[in-house]
Amino acid sequence: MIRKYFSEATPSFAWKNRLGNWRTEIFAGFVGAILVIPQGITFAYLAGLQPEYGLYCAIFVTLFCSVFGTSSMMSGPNTAVAILIGTAVLPLAGRGSPVYVDFVFLLCLMVGAIQLLFWLMRGARIFQYLSPAAISGISAGAGFLIIMSSLDSILDLSTFKTTFFYEKIYVIASDARDLVNPYSLFIGVCTIAGGYVGRRFSPRYFIIIAVTAGYLSGLLVAFIWPQPVTELEYLGRMPLEWLPFSVPTINMEYLMISTKLIPYAITIAFIGLAQSLVIVRELKMETDQDINLDKEVYAQGLANLLAPFFSSFAGAGSFNRTKANQSLGATTPFSGITSAGFVLILITFLGPILTYMPMAAMAGTLFIVGADMIKWRDIKHYAKVRAELVIYFATFISIMFFGLATGVVVAVFLSVSVFMLRISQLELAVEPTDSGMLLKVKGALFYASLAHLTERFHSHFGKNMTVDLQFTTHIDQSAVDFFIRESKHMAEHGVRLTLLINDKQGHFLKKLGASSDIDLVAL
Amino acid sequence: MLRTVTRAINVIPRVITSVLLTIALVASSLVLSAAVLIAPTKALAQHGQPSIQQLLQEPFLDDYYSNVVYGYEIITDTQKNASRYVGNALNCSNCHLQAGTQKEALPLNVAGMYPKWRAKNGKRNGIGLRIRECFLYSMDGIMPPEDAPEVLAISAYVSYLSQGQIMGAEPEGRGVPTLPDTGYDPNPANGRAVYLAQCASCHGTQGEGVAGMPPVWGLNSYNKGAGMNDIREAAGFIWANMPLGNGKSLSHQQALDVSAYLNLQIRPSDPRDSKFLKLLEHLIN
Repeated sequence: MIRKYFSEATPSFAWKNRLGNWRTEIFAGFVGAILVIPQGITFAYLAGLQPEYGLYCAIFVTLFCSVFGTSSMMSGPNTAVAILIGTAVLPLAGRGSPVYVDFVFLLCLMVGAIQLLFWLMRGARIFQYLSPAAISGISAGAGFLIIMSSLDSILDLSTFKTTFFYEKIYVIASDARDLVNPYSLFIGVCTIAGGYVGRRFSPRYFIIIAVTAGYLSGLLVAFIWPQPVTELEYLGRMPLEWLPFSVPTINMEYLMISTKLIPYAITIAFIGLAQSLVIVRELKMETDQDINLDKEVYAQGLANLLAPFFSSFAGAGSFNRTKANQSLGATTPFSGITSAGFVLILITFLGPILTYMPMAAMAGTLFIVGADMIKWRDIKHYAKVRAELVIYFATFISIMFFGLATGVVVAVFLSVSVFMLRISQLELAVEPTDSGMLLKVKGALFYASLAHLTERFHSHFGKNMTVDLQFTTHIDQSAVDFFIRESKHMAEHGVRLTLLINDKQGHFLKKLGASSDIDLVAL
Repeated sequence: MLRTVTRAINVIPRVITSVLLTIALVASSLVLSAAVLIAPTKALAQHGQPSIQQLLQEPFLDDYYSNVVYGYEIITDTQKNASRYVGNALNCSNCHLQAGTQKEALPLNVAGMYPKWRAKNGKRNGIGLRIRECFLYSMDGIMPPEDAPEVLAISAYVSYLSQGQIMGAEPEGRGVPTLPDTGYDPNPANGRAVYLAQCASCHGTQGEGVAGMPPVWGLNSYNKGAGMNDIREAAGFIWANMPLGNGKSLSHQQALDVSAYLNLQIRPSDPRDSKFLKLLEHLIN
């Protein structure tokens, strides 16, 4: 046990042997870095922090998560987590102010600690119940959210909040002339078009083609019209330190105030882990990576616990970057590690060039990645089974309307209930024999599936019954009680109940005191 | 032995949960009692406005004051706190002396003056747009978006400094003094002599800024769209405040001459100019 915990708590590097094509991994890391830079900046804004913190998050949370993890999941800044950090800390201090930063660090420390607690309690099991359809639904929903959020930057909207997405679309459409910045839209469209045309010619480099197309169209716009006219938003200068050590302030006063943050910390910890684990589960399904879910929980928790010491805020797995990573053929944590390095290198050495990178170009690439996450193939695949299709769409729609957190809960709930419904269905076969009836029971016999059995019993009442339990996978207390009750009832009417069982079931039935009126026949 | 250890580990989660719960209970009761104790003192603090020095000492600030402090920190150390939008080596407090509190040195107590129409961009400007344009011209950077935290913090700081001013009225000592007509044109050659004698010890012979002093021309200084690139504006500022700590020691004519000399130096181009039109103009000529 202790050895198991220890082996999970240390980086394994077992993927070194699987590292077939390290060039692919490095290239995927490079694309990941390009994708994470705009996200780090926007999510830092959502969390109410300066952009540097988002970039540090993109570097250090990604790095720790990949070093301690086992999968090619790209962790780092995450929308839902960033928004929750913002909502939690905003009432306590002005956004971006030093006191605010202190509280964010404290919150992230709590999030990391709670996630590590989750790891100690083997919490990853909850997410094993997510069905593949639910995971595809979550992924598609996340893609939709990414498209919607990329619209903000493509159209250069000042952030406004609406309850549902269609209100936002309606507001944009009805007031397009005032709200939409045509220069920004031009750059965004160039980026998206560049990406889709580029994919025709080079599926590997299309994201880089898209970014370049966006950057060049941005330069063209800036060349013709000056910034006071276009009011374009640019990436700006980002002086990064290579090792931005920071120590979260912890004193009595902070701790007293931060008790308010505990419920948020729990929510963030759960939602962050939920997203990471959904991603990891998907990778486990679709690739042959050697993934340990518990180790991923540990990696995410540790990354968030260490984040405040490196000037970053908490993060979680990212759907879009993992998807891009996967489509480029990365299969090991190495791509995550290189991605962290590339962010640092890109910002440090390409800083002057990136200063004039329009945010619309970066959002355009996000749009492409988001659109890729909604797959027509998935819908066709799940359309064959009705239950799966219902799970897929219910998850997708609840994410569209109520956000990712609610969507994950709905997905877990639906997956579990469909699973429950399915296993509570018994396969019953009734054959008449010379002494009475033979009832063959296939499936799990427990309180939920008993009703089915009861019906059959009552329809053949008054005859000798033989129940064949050798294909029954599980018998619970209420099933045994049922047999005892039935056998007494039958004995009063002069007929007998016989159970055909195997050794293990015999042991269990005897323990529950089921021998007086029932004939047990061991097979 | 191993079994006892395993059993002990199995208990750990439960122990941790209970410990956390206890901590949460104790902490929340502490918060409650503290809130009861703090409430009366907070009510007293409403009368006067705390100074920035007092605010910096406070361990906790509410939304407004923490924004004010953040704005103050941006004004005094723009290079560190708003680096994203800054393109040169200046800080706001290089022109807005004493963090924008000194009269006749572009003081920032002007929240009551906005929104107002400005000829510079031909629009009615809110304080937000005014701050954003400072980044574009004087800081030779990029225009921050409307809702950037830096812009919001600076406008909070401007509101804080404007406490006690009459809304809509011009505060005393706003901007820089307008110099009277001296009867002579500004003379850059004379300005160069004055610059080398009076200014070069801090700002450098090449205008690069010595030992933390702001560069006054070159690519690390304000651009051609900045207010300081206007000869009268810069002359007023120089006469009233320069050499630093010894303001109003130059004559009006000397200030005008220095200002004309600065105006002739190389600096980043005006971001309002379209490079495309410039190129077109160049090709046609």
